Amino acid sequence: MKPLRKSTLVRLCHEMAAHPWRDQELDELVHPKLGIITSLQHLLNELEVLRGTDLGDLPPATSLRPERSGE
Amino acid sequence: MTERPLAFRTAGELTALMRAGTLAPAELLDCYLDRIRRHDATARAYITVTEEIARDAARHARARLDKDGDAPALTGLPYAVKDVIDASGVLTTGGSRVLSDNRARENARVVDLMTAGGAVLLGKTNLHEFAFGATGENPLTGTATNPYDPTRLAGGSSSGSAAAVGYGLAAAALGTDTGGSVRVPASLCGLVGLKPTLGRISSRGVIPFAWSLDHLGTLTRSVGDAALLLQALAGPDPDDPGSADAAVDDYPAALDQPIDGLRVGVPERFYFERADGEILAASEAVLRALEARGARLLTVAMPSMDHARTVSLTVQMPEALSYHSRYLGERGELYGADLRAGLALGQCLLAEHYLRAKRFMAFYRRQTNAVLREVDVLVTPATPIIAPKIGTAHVTIDGVREAVGNALTRYTSFFNMTGHPAITLPVGLHSEGLPIAVQIVGRAFDEAGILRAAGAVERDERFRVPPPDLVSSVDGAACRA
Repeated sequence: MKPLRKSTLVRLCHEMAAHPWRDQELDELVHPKLGIITSLQHLLNELEVLRGTDLGDLPPATSLRPERSGE
Repeated sequence: MTERPLAFRTAGELTALMRAGTLAPAELLDCYLDRIRRHDATARAYITVTEEIARDAARHARARLDKDGDAPALTGLPYAVKDVIDASGVLTTGGSRVLSDNRARENARVVDLMTAGGAVLLGKTNLHEFAFGATGENPLTGTATNPYDPTRLAGGSSSGSAAAVGYGLAAAALGTDTGGSVRVPASLCGLVGLKPTLGRISSRGVIPFAWSLDHLGTLTRSVGDAALLLQALAGPDPDDPGSADAAVDDYPAALDQPIDGLRVGVPERFYFERADGEILAASEAVLRALEARGARLLTVAMPSMDHARTVSLTVQMPEALSYHSRYLGERGELYGADLRAGLALGQCLLAEHYLRAKRFMAFYRRQTNAVLREVDVLVTPATPIIAPKIGTAHVTIDGVREAVGNALTRYTSFFNMTGHPAITLPVGLHSEGLPIAVQIVGRAFDEAGILRAAGAVERDERFRVPPPDLVSSVDGAACRA
C-alpha cells in the first residue's frame, strides 16, 4: 500500500459521489492536528493488518439477544 | 451520607424524604434551581433549563404523594438528560448549531419512563458536539467543568450530565455511551456511571452517534441510585429495533446480595498497564477488599486489544456519517471542525473495512463471553488518568504519548463493542484531589451481577469519596430543608 496523499482524497471525493469536504477536513485526515482522530494512513495500515486475520465464517455483530448471551 | 447537604443526597434518600412528607417536591426543585442559578456559569452543565415543565411535574408529584400511598419510586426526583434525548416541546440541539432550532415533538422513550416513574425533568445537559469526543469540549455551548476542580474537564461526551450531578445541580442524569461517554465523565466527577447491556434501555427518541455502539446510561450519586433508575428504564421497546427482549431483574434487591464465592476476573494485561500509579493502587485495593469479603480473584486472558480502537473507529465514523448525511448538504458549515473531520474519515473508509470491523466486534463479543463463563465479573480501572486540565490535547504515560480522548476511553470502549454491561464507581481521591474510579463488567443482561459487586465496594468505608468542596456554604435558603 502506497502512502496516502491528500490529492488522492481530493480525487476520490470529486470522482465518486461524496459530501463537499473542505481542504481543512482532508488536511486533518492526512496530517491530524486536532488530537481527536487518528490519521487515515494509520487507520488504513491497521485495517490492512486486520485483513490478515481469518475470521472464518463469523458474520458481523448484530443486536444482542438474551438467549445468545452464554454463547 | 445522610449528613450531606440536600443537593448532594442520593436519589434514594431524597425520594424517601418526600415519601415521608418531610420534603416537598417543590422545595427540592427550588433547591436545584437555586443552585443552577448560582453555579451553572462555572459548571456549564445545562444547555436548557426546563423550569416550567419541572414546576408542573413537581406539583403533579406532590398531588400523587398526597393521594397515593404507593406513588412510583422516582416521584418528585429532579433529573437532567443529555441534549441528544428528546423531551416534547423542548429543543434538542445535540450541542450543535446544526440543530439550534430543533424542537422535539415527542418524548424519548426514556423520558416517558422517567415521567411514568414520577421524576421531574430539570433540563437538557451540555455535551461534546453530537457526542463526538470524550473531553466534552464544546466551543459553542462552553466546556462543562469538573466539580472537584473547575480548571479541569468533566469528561465526555455526557459532560453536562456529569457536571449537573457532580455540582449538585440535579439528583441524577441520563447520558449516552458509545465508547465510555457515561462511564468516563462519571469517573472523573466522582459519580457512578452505568452502561447497561446493549439494547437493555430503549434508544428511541435519542440522536444516535453510532447505532452499533450506542448505549443509554445513568449518572448517579450512588450504586443504589443506579439500580433505582435502571429499574425504571430497563425493558423491551417494540418501537426500537435495537431494543432487547430480555427479562428485567429486581436491581435494588441485588445490591444487598453477599459476594461470597463471587469469581472476579482480573485481566492479565492491558487494563493494569500504562496508568497513573495511584489509580492502579486504588484498583488493587478494591480487588483485595473484594477478596476479603469472600470473592475469588482469577487472572483472565482478555481478547487482544491491539486493534480495538481501530475497530471501534471504523464502525463509529461511517455510522455517524450515515446519520448526519441528512444535515451535511444544507447545514454542513455549521458543524465543528473536529466533527467534520471525523465525518470525512467515515467517507473515506471502504464498505469492506466497515464490515470487517463489525465482524471483529462479533469476534470480541464471542471471546469476552467465553471469559465470562469462567468468572462472574471483571474488574478494571475505569480510566488510566485523572481529569485532565481543560485544553489538554495529549497525555504522556510511561513515555507513550496519546491523544487525551484515546487515553480517557482506553478501558471503556471495548465493552461498547461487546455490548456487555459495565458500571464505574468512585473508590478514592487522588493526591491531586480528583476522583479515582474502577469499572466492573458483567455478563450480557446481568446488570444485577455488576450492581451486586459494585454495592459491596461502595459499602466499604475505605472507598468513600467526599462530595466536592463547594457545597453548603454557598447554598441559599432553598437548600436548607
